[in-house]
Amino acid sequence: MWLDGQSTIRKQDLLLTNPYVNAAGTLGFTPDPRAMPFLNHLGAFITHPISRRPRQPAANRCCLPFPGGFLLHTGLANPGISRAVSRYRRRWASATLPIIVHLLAEAPETVAEMVQKLEGLENVLAVELGLPPECSPKLLFDFMAASTGELPVLISLGPEQVPTLLTALKALQPAAVHLTEPRGALPEPDGGLVSGRLYGPAIFPLMLSAAQTLVNAGLRVIADGGIYERWQAEALLGCGVFAVGLDGTLWGVDPNESFRKK
Amino acid sequence: MPNLTAKLVEVFQLGEEIVGVLDLPRHFWPEPGQYLPCQRLSEKPEIMTTPLFKVIGDPNRLCVAPLPGSWTPGDRLALLPPQGNGFKLPHNARRIGLLAMSIPPSRLLTLVKPALAQNAAVSLFCNPQPDPDLLSRVPSVVEVGPLSALQDNLQWPDFLAVDLPLARLEHLQEILPPLPLPFEGQVLVRTSMPCHGVGECGVCTVKTRRGWRLACVNGPVFPLAEVLHVA
Repeated sequence: MWLDGQSTIRKQDLLLTNPYVNAAGTLGFTPDPRAMPFLNHLGAFITHPISRRPRQPAANRCCLPFPGGFLLHTGLANPGISRAVSRYRRRWASATLPIIVHLLAEAPETVAEMVQKLEGLENVLAVELGLPPECSPKLLFDFMAASTGELPVLISLGPEQVPTLLTALKALQPAAVHLTEPRGALPEPDGGLVSGRLYGPAIFPLMLSAAQTLVNAGLRVIADGGIYERWQAEALLGCGVFAVGLDGTLWGVDPNESFRKK
Repeated sequence: MPNLTAKLVEVFQLGEEIVGVLDLPRHFWPEPGQYLPCQRLSEKPEIMTTPLFKVIGDPNRLCVAPLPGSWTPGDRLALLPPQGNGFKLPHNARRIGLLAMSIPPSRLLTLVKPALAQNAAVSLFCNPQPDPDLLSRVPSVVEVGPLSALQDNLQWPDFLAVDLPLARLEHLQEILPPLPLPFEGQVLVRTSMPCHGVGECGVCTVKTRRGWRLACVNGPVFPLAEVLHVA
């Protein structure tokens, strides 16, 4: 959100110094300046998704390329909220940029418990709720009610969820809506289908269109979008999103190149 | 982490793999089993990095694979310094077995020169049999046999280096004797490593005796005893 001199600032508002963030799941749990020389371009660091209980990697974890992108299926392994807080709180506190903790929203009661564990932690700017694929408007209301507290709440959802949840989002007005990579499926090499998030430039038109829908609904939007070139980020910012989420490009040999290109 | 650039000076087919020769300074060459995350420099950025491994070839040139089919001689590449843990031959190993399961042994064969340099006998066990072009590059002092030859002579090696896809790890433990093994060993686990550690994305996780480990950071070469018979 950019200050215009007329708006008032609420405690639950989200302020970023730079209009770029990383997508959840792309940079691990803590920023590492040695391995991530591009951190100074980001306005906040979004953690790997964290659940209430520890999660194991998926048995059929895989990365499947397709023309224009790749599908990633990992199972979102993580140590669970309690261990994550004890393991990473010091590194979050000493990070050079604010931290947004991404929580896997599984049930309203567990969301409330996870949010409480994060309140009061130094340098934690906000929580981001990653919605389950089947999330209904009612469940979204319950998640928001459960997560309301001291920290701003971002809602993270894929473009395929926008039609179902748009009306509820307009009513709820979260601190921001983070539009993340869509889910898809591809055939596995051994047969069968594997589902996962889709990354890469092929998803950009879909993401731009969904971002525009959310912006037109009066929501504050952070949009990922398979951004690999500067013009793509500029197109999203031009349509009114207040920050752009970067994903696969951060895994390149020189991610700084994404910020330099004209 | 410094970013490097190199020129792809030659491309050739070695069995079923496409191999490239890079003009990278020698002090940036990966050890056997380590990898170089690499992207071709072009107008359109490549979507993913390609992990390049050192493979058998002229010892005075850096031969790497697997190259994407679209790369051609003269291409400029951006790459990171060698990543991960490679093979470490014990100095006292005198009978070294190399085991390639379901894949070409081109990466394992980079161990032949250092093994012979420490006066070790070397045997290569493969299933399936390697391409004749690849075999022609194997020094004649190296014995080559099928997987069953290793199973019949499990007391022979005092060190075993293995190269296999992640999905074949379970099969490996059916072939080798129960722990403790009568020899030391290390295994190069082949799996996707799209984030090369920067994202801890988890797609390359390997179950070990010390819990789940990332092949891109903690591997891709693991001690055999760490990954065998892990419930």
